[in-house]
Amino acid sequence: MSEEIKTSEHPPGPPVLRADELCYTRQNRQLITKASLTLSAGQITLLAGHNGAGKSLLLQLLHGLMPPDSGQLSGPPGKQQKMVFQKPVLLRRSTRQHLAFLAPQLDRDGLDACLARAGLLDRQQVPTRQLSGGEAQKLALTGALATRPKLLFLDEPTASLDYESTRFVEDSLQQARAGGMAILMVSHNRTQIKRLADRVLFLARGTITDNAQADAFFAQPESRVAQDWLDFA
Amino acid sequence: MGIIDSMQQALAMLVRLEADLWEIILLSIRVSGTATFFALVFGLPLGALLATRSFPGRTAAVILVNSLLALPPVVAGLVIYLLLSRSGPFGWLQLLYSPTAMIIAQFVLILPIAAALSRQIFEQMLAEYAPLLASLRCSTTQRIAVLLRDGRLELITVVLACFGRAIAEVGAVIIVGGNINHVSRVLTTAIALETSRGELALALALGMVLLVIALLVNLAGQLIRVVLQKAGADV
Repeated sequence: MSEEIKTSEHPPGPPVLRADELCYTRQNRQLITKASLTLSAGQITLLAGHNGAGKSLLLQLLHGLMPPDSGQLSGPPGKQQKMVFQKPVLLRRSTRQHLAFLAPQLDRDGLDACLARAGLLDRQQVPTRQLSGGEAQKLALTGALATRPKLLFLDEPTASLDYESTRFVEDSLQQARAGGMAILMVSHNRTQIKRLADRVLFLARGTITDNAQADAFFAQPESRVAQDWLDFA
Repeated sequence: MGIIDSMQQALAMLVRLEADLWEIILLSIRVSGTATFFALVFGLPLGALLATRSFPGRTAAVILVNSLLALPPVVAGLVIYLLLSRSGPFGWLQLLYSPTAMIIAQFVLILPIAAALSRQIFEQMLAEYAPLLASLRCSTTQRIAVLLRDGRLELITVVLACFGRAIAEVGAVIIVGGNINHVSRVLTTAIALETSRGELALALALGMVLLVIALLVNLAGQLIRVVLQKAGADV
């Protein structure tokens, strides 16, 4: 996995999701403050920030899993959005049955092809809970991508994966980007952000402090907190 | 007559498989099996609904269902008796002292078991499944279908609990069934009758049959569990 920045190779397509000043407050604490962003087709946007900054919460707001207290959100219908969680939610089914649930439009050959692509063909009858963390994440991502969503959210999908599984995730995302998918992914890994990101969002205490092209972000972040985050490496 | 003698006589009766005994056994299985079937048909969706939906009065509904677990069988039997008696609102159905009345009594007693136990199972499953089902925009009906399908191994326990409670029931079924020979006599009411008459051998034989039925039903449940696990189901 090379670490060079690849942003210039992927000019943004039409906007897929727009968020305008989203706010979310719980127990008198503003957790997300005036979050505005645009996710474009054919681009990977990486969302970075410290633990507790509100990254997962912002993802859930954008994905429509919880309503914001204020602000505007426009994006594709829920069925055209998919989300991959840090810890995949596994149904009490076989690997093949789980994939069929995630991507119900797949026929027998389609299921075989997806399982083969994920390297899970020989594990298709195994209960999902017997899969390793990497296998489970491959299954989750393969299921999400198989539905060809317009928009894909990923919440630290490679946080506990080894090199091979991380490589699979990153390669899959690059292919999805080439196919025109808009992708928003949370990551703490600076080198991964450099490898994948077209744009970078930096979130600090619920506020988006930086929203820039990846090369610009790494050259000169807008906020002090993002600069500190980069310098810590 | 000592207990050893009673046991020997009981075994002899079982070996002979007397017609009357068979009639009682089959009626018991039919009544309790039917009551269990309907309790599951109504109780599992009710449990799933209580687990998946948030609505005004949900907490009160959960408390009510849980409280009904402790419903005294004789009270349930008495209420059903009053409803089905000739002067009651459903007297025109002429169901009193029939197997149907006994099915109704057992259904009322085990419906809360099916609903309460399944709700607990479904809530535990939802703690894992909720993010995915929400992300996939599954409707309430789809969520319930997923829970019923994926919870099937644990729901076997609910089936066994319902059937076990039903077939062991005596207080309510003796009130609404009347323990009429060749009509509404089941294993438990027959045991009570034969004990009161001093026919301890027959009572013991019936008791042993009851235990064997419970054992066979549990074995069947275990067999189904193994088959489902081989098919990819997991708890």
